[in-house]
Amino acid sequence: MNTKKYLRILIIVLLLALITACSSPATEPVADTDSPELVSPEEPVEEEAEEVVEEVVSVVNVSFWHTYNEESPENEMLTNTLIPMFEEAHPEIKIESLSVAYPDFRTKLMTAIAGGVAPDLIRADIIWVPEFADMGALAALDDLMPDFNDYAEKVFPGPLSTNYWNGHYYGLPLDTNTKVMLQNSDVLTAAGIDQPAKTVDEFWAQCAAVKQANQDTYLFAADGTFAWVMLPWIWSGGGNIMDEGFTTADGYLNGPETVAVYEMWLDMYKEGCIAPTMLGEGIDTFSGVGQGLYAGFDNGPWTYPILAGQYEDVELVASLFPAGQGGSVEVVGGEDVVLFEQSDAKDASVEFIRFLLSEEYQLKMAEVGQIPVLSSAINSDYLQDHPYYGIFLEQLATAKARPAHPLWSQIDEIMTDAGQLILREEMTVQEALDEAVSKINPLLGN
Amino acid sequence: MNRMIKKSLRNTFTAYLFILPGLVFTTLWLFYPMIRAFQLSFYNWNLMPNIPNTFIGFDNYLSAFQDDLFWLTLKNTGVYVLVTVLGQLFLGLLLALILDQVTKGRVLIRTLLYIPVVTSIVVAALLFRYLFNSSDTGLVNYFLTDVIGIIAKPIPWLREAQTAFIPVFMLGIWKGVGWAMVIFLAALQSIPEEYREAASIDGASHTQIITKIVIPILIPTILLVMILLTNGAFKVYVEVALITGGNPLHRTEVLLSYIYYQGFERMNFGYANALSFMLAVVIFSINRIQLRQQKKLTHDI
Repeated sequence: MNTKKYLRILIIVLLLALITACSSPATEPVADTDSPELVSPEEPVEEEAEEVVEEVVSVVNVSFWHTYNEESPENEMLTNTLIPMFEEAHPEIKIESLSVAYPDFRTKLMTAIAGGVAPDLIRADIIWVPEFADMGALAALDDLMPDFNDYAEKVFPGPLSTNYWNGHYYGLPLDTNTKVMLQNSDVLTAAGIDQPAKTVDEFWAQCAAVKQANQDTYLFAADGTFAWVMLPWIWSGGGNIMDEGFTTADGYLNGPETVAVYEMWLDMYKEGCIAPTMLGEGIDTFSGVGQGLYAGFDNGPWTYPILAGQYEDVELVASLFPAGQGGSVEVVGGEDVVLFEQSDAKDASVEFIRFLLSEEYQLKMAEVGQIPVLSSAINSDYLQDHPYYGIFLEQLATAKARPAHPLWSQIDEIMTDAGQLILREEMTVQEALDEAVSKINPLLGN
Repeated sequence: MNRMIKKSLRNTFTAYLFILPGLVFTTLWLFYPMIRAFQLSFYNWNLMPNIPNTFIGFDNYLSAFQDDLFWLTLKNTGVYVLVTVLGQLFLGLLLALILDQVTKGRVLIRTLLYIPVVTSIVVAALLFRYLFNSSDTGLVNYFLTDVIGIIAKPIPWLREAQTAFIPVFMLGIWKGVGWAMVIFLAALQSIPEEYREAASIDGASHTQIITKIVIPILIPTILLVMILLTNGAFKVYVEVALITGGNPLHRTEVLLSYIYYQGFERMNFGYANALSFMLAVVIFSINRIQLRQQKKLTHDI
């Protein structure tokens, strides 16, 4: 009788343990920045009865959130090489880096901010910085760092400008990137195209040749109608979304140049030159280009390692974005490093920022696809001789940043919806863009 | 006498002790958030902890009425509830009636049909999303075009709201029908054999036995299952979020996914809370109607 009862209790306890073990671990910020930890290193080997001398070092934890995939070469470089390098030089600082996937990043961050447990530093998408700064979540780095100007002078002005909001700089650029036209050389050869197009008209004209070689191939693929996709076409076409002062979108987003770009886009889509990924269907852009289903797309330097992983035989032909009335203007991407006002470890965090902006960090990250923001690094031999960075640096010279407005993500959403309505042919181009303008202007204070 | 009072007091005390952990957790994780959420719904709630929030009274609730998307999501949720609840009810009842007649392998079939209920909803939703892929690489499209050959071109399932709901409905029904079936099966097996024997001796056909005897006896169970299924169906979220993501253009949003969108992507937490309370009111009212129906119908029997 007794053993049966104990057996039953044991089973219940094991089940409970199994259930709790199987429930997904909550992803919580790793850092505890409120109190320094006491760390005692190993004791020296003693002989006889000598006194043990223990060194007690107080360690400050700095939490650093980023969007690199856990398994990515960038994250490996960061966690296995660079952070240990920093911690060795600064034994009193411990960096706790956390990888958070991009789609979840904002939500997780917002929750942390609301709960008062924001991380110390994050590698923020440049488009988030004005929004977070406007919310009051970020510390003004130009006030906090006495040597801010030294670093500001070492970086390119374009990426630096993405940190500016309302009279202060809230961060420093960490890496920059842009897109260039990347095409599958096999598809081009099959279509009899020996040179990538230099102008927009040439580019679209190539659709006929591509479709002749293979009816099911698309000339161009993109993931949707959001700003990151459409802006290069709009800007190169001589159009824009709004004026420089962010006061109105009227005459810009619905202006004749932008309308012409969307009209061309709709025609090309109807003729089967643009892949259905624009509406969220079909095979994803990378796989499609790798398989030769799509002739190409405009994308960043990460494309090379991504395709090399799955489609080793594919050779990419890189060229500057086809030029239109406005020239060849791509969109600047990249990330900034920003410091949160809630942080308890500001001095240690600033020290880490200095490391992130150092030439050794920037050049090491350049090896894994992160274009540096330091002008000195750009001029280094490594970058000048790099197999594919050259064209991206060339494109960067004329690339523009997206509007640094705190409500940018809403503006982007309105623009995206307008593009979808156009491609689904539920509204004419002019109607859809006019409606978008009427929704955007209130956000600009109109 | 004294000893008896002491014993009963100790019993009550022990009883409260047993309830205490559950009560503490429920208060912390259910009651407190509910009250806070209700409070938040009257504010234009700001994310930053140190900035005061502006009190705006019923504005959040009023703007819900003027929000076109809110009405659309309400309609979507209503259709989902109707389709999936009725689907699970009918299919569950049908399967239970059939399984009731089966003697060999009943346990096996019952287990197999119940497995969808305990599978991870996330995995199932992602699977359905891949199955209904718009190109002909999606299994459903491949089946319809190449195997059966009833359509010529693959259907772009997720492109239009009407077709996008089909995988969502199917997932909802597939996942819950096993549960309804098990409940009905248990109820069926509690009907005394004599009723059926008496009816068949009197000359009733098989269908008549089912419609005149079995179903009326099952009505309380049917109503109970319907109430529970309705409650669950109103809380649909994962199916929509993972299969369509609200696309295209928010046309496939349901109430919970819309609340999530307003809260976590638009940062309108006050508004999102107001919406969730409106959802609670809707569920509550529908429940009351269903319960009243149940009382009426059980009275008649």
